[in-house]
Amino acid sequence: MKGFAFGQYYPANSVLHRMDPRAKVICAVAYIVASFLCKNTFSFVLLFVSAFALILISRIPLKVVLRSVRALIFIMAFTAVLNIFWIVDTAEGAVPLVEFWIIKIYTKGLYHAAFILVRILAMVIGTGLFLTYTTTPIALTDALESLLRPLAKIKVPVHAFAMMMTIALRFIPTIMEETEKIMSAQKARGADFTTGSLAKRAKALIPIIIPLFASAFRRADELATAMECRCYHGGEGRTKLRILRYHARDFLGMLWIILFIAAIVTLNILGARFGWLYTM
Amino acid sequence: MTPFINVRKITIIKKTKTPRPNPSAVGTENGAAPAVPIMNQTENPKIRLENINYYYGKGTPFEVKALDAVSLDIHGGKLTGIIGHTGSGKSTLVQLLNGLARAGEGRVLLDGVDIWADPKEIGRVRYRVGLVMQYPEYQLFEETVYADIAYGPRNMGLPEEEIQARVHEAAAFAGVDAALMEKSPFDLSGGQKRRVAIAGIMAMRPEVLVLDEPAAGLDPQGRHTIFQGIRDYNRKTGCTVLIVSHSMEDMAQYCDDVVVMAHSRVLMAGDRDHIFARADELETVGLDIPQITKLCLLLREGGMPMPAGLYTVEAAEDSLMKLFSEAKKNRRGGERS
Ligand SMILES: Nc1ncnc2c1ncn2[C@@H]1O[C@H](COP(=O)(O)OP(=O)(O)OP(=O)(O)O)[C@@H](O)[C@H]1O
Ligand SMILES: [Mg+2]
Repeated sequence: MKGFAFGQYYPANSVLHRMDPRAKVICAVAYIVASFLCKNTFSFVLLFVSAFALILISRIPLKVVLRSVRALIFIMAFTAVLNIFWIVDTAEGAVPLVEFWIIKIYTKGLYHAAFILVRILAMVIGTGLFLTYTTTPIALTDALESLLRPLAKIKVPVHAFAMMMTIALRFIPTIMEETEKIMSAQKARGADFTTGSLAKRAKALIPIIIPLFASAFRRADELATAMECRCYHGGEGRTKLRILRYHARDFLGMLWIILFIAAIVTLNILGARFGWLYTM
Repeated sequence: MTPFINVRKITIIKKTKTPRPNPSAVGTENGAAPAVPIMNQTENPKIRLENINYYYGKGTPFEVKALDAVSLDIHGGKLTGIIGHTGSGKSTLVQLLNGLARAGEGRVLLDGVDIWADPKEIGRVRYRVGLVMQYPEYQLFEETVYADIAYGPRNMGLPEEEIQARVHEAAAFAGVDAALMEKSPFDLSGGQKRRVAIAGIMAMRPEVLVLDEPAAGLDPQGRHTIFQGIRDYNRKTGCTVLIVSHSMEDMAQYCDDVVVMAHSRVLMAGDRDHIFARADELETVGLDIPQITKLCLLLREGGMPMPAGLYTVEAAEDSLMKLFSEAKKNRRGGERS
């Protein structure tokens, strides 16, 4: 478990890595919006191409990116199949490609399935590349805190949430290591987690969970004391070691996204005007 | 994610890349001839490790060779100390002994039988080889100290009277006060928790008791009582005991045999007189030898005919007194003639 790389951050030297995390959060949201704006074959082709362009820009090996897609293959296959069978082409003169018992498959259904696949793929790759692959979790938390700061005016404890997230992220590897140690210790005392009925196995987890909670509380206590000793008193008046600053590349990035959305909308409109191929 | 990179891991990777002296590597590179001599060899060892190589994260960029061509015998009935600097592979070694970890290469023989001969029976091996892990106080979970010590024996399916007898016996060896039995283990001090955890393994009456740093972080008095209890356990039950420790001082005081580990290898192993006779070598690999041994080495360097390998104050005092009275005699003889 120790070899497990926490999060998916993949260090590389690319523009995406260097971009300000706040700009990346904005771009990621815009990219998701763009993927929902797509309406016809042409805009979906553009979306598809853009996803791979992003991979090239990020300098992250294709293999690594596809690994995160693989986790979603079941959901993607499921939605695709559902669309193939579900969509009924109500247009005049539409003939089912396949007709068998109550199953009717239309060409439109196939197109829809492909659209949905591209949309999910682009969303996964887009958010992954803007956020998890190129941004460390800590930078991401910083960005969220900064972006949500206006909410502090209406008494939302933004800083507290950000601090909580940072601490949680920091302790995930520690707790995983600890779990492994406690499991070994109980195994040495004859604990058996792999055989027996479900109830018996659930009960076998008690000797793990109790020490784990005990140590999590102990850690929390110690951390709180340590923070207080260093005069931590919440977000007010607190300065940052790493101050986030927008650079030209961040504005350029956001400009690109706006152009991208504009292109998609244009393709949609043109498609509707000239009746290009299939639309959603 | 940079802030979480394991600094320890990185320094170790660097370490494995730098070439270092290979005292016992014979034909291990191609894996063909397992011709590593067995350290501390004996006729019928309780435990024999045969040419063990152990890697963490094999095949990843973080690969660490934690044990390198380790071949070692542990003598039955003796108290063996395993000593080595931080990260030398001691904890890894002891986790192989009861099958908590499994080496990709090499065998672990318990009474001459490979413990992995039948992987399904590894649970039985864990009852025969009891392991107290490093910082065992964090494994306590039951409502009372009694129930926690009884957890192991209960897993073994023993009858209730037997469990009770074992718990009290183990508590006595480990120095757990009878008054603590009904307390919650979470209300104890660190040292008391440590003792409860040790008793929890002793109560299983393993043939081999392995303790990883049983006295780490305790005061001298606490260290002494724990080691004394472990030695009593060894002498009274005749069980084989292994203790992992940083402290040469403690090893010198309590152990019969000593195994010295350095850089994932067994540097030397043998009975304690032999090991401490090579105290100067121990110093060269950066291990702390007992103060009194250091003093004797200095005296020898200064020309005093002290025997090498003294590791107790009593022995040093004896030989010093002998030297002193001899010198006195000589001087008197010189005056008379
Ligand atoms: N779970 C793990 N994953 C990866 N590497 C590990 C793991 N545990 C130990 N190591 C590495 O293996 C090597 C041996 O570690 P080990 O814990 O056996 O040392 P040790 O002699 O017990 O040290 P200490 O005296 O500090 O307890 C070290 O280089 C360590 O970094
Ligand atoms: Mg250790």
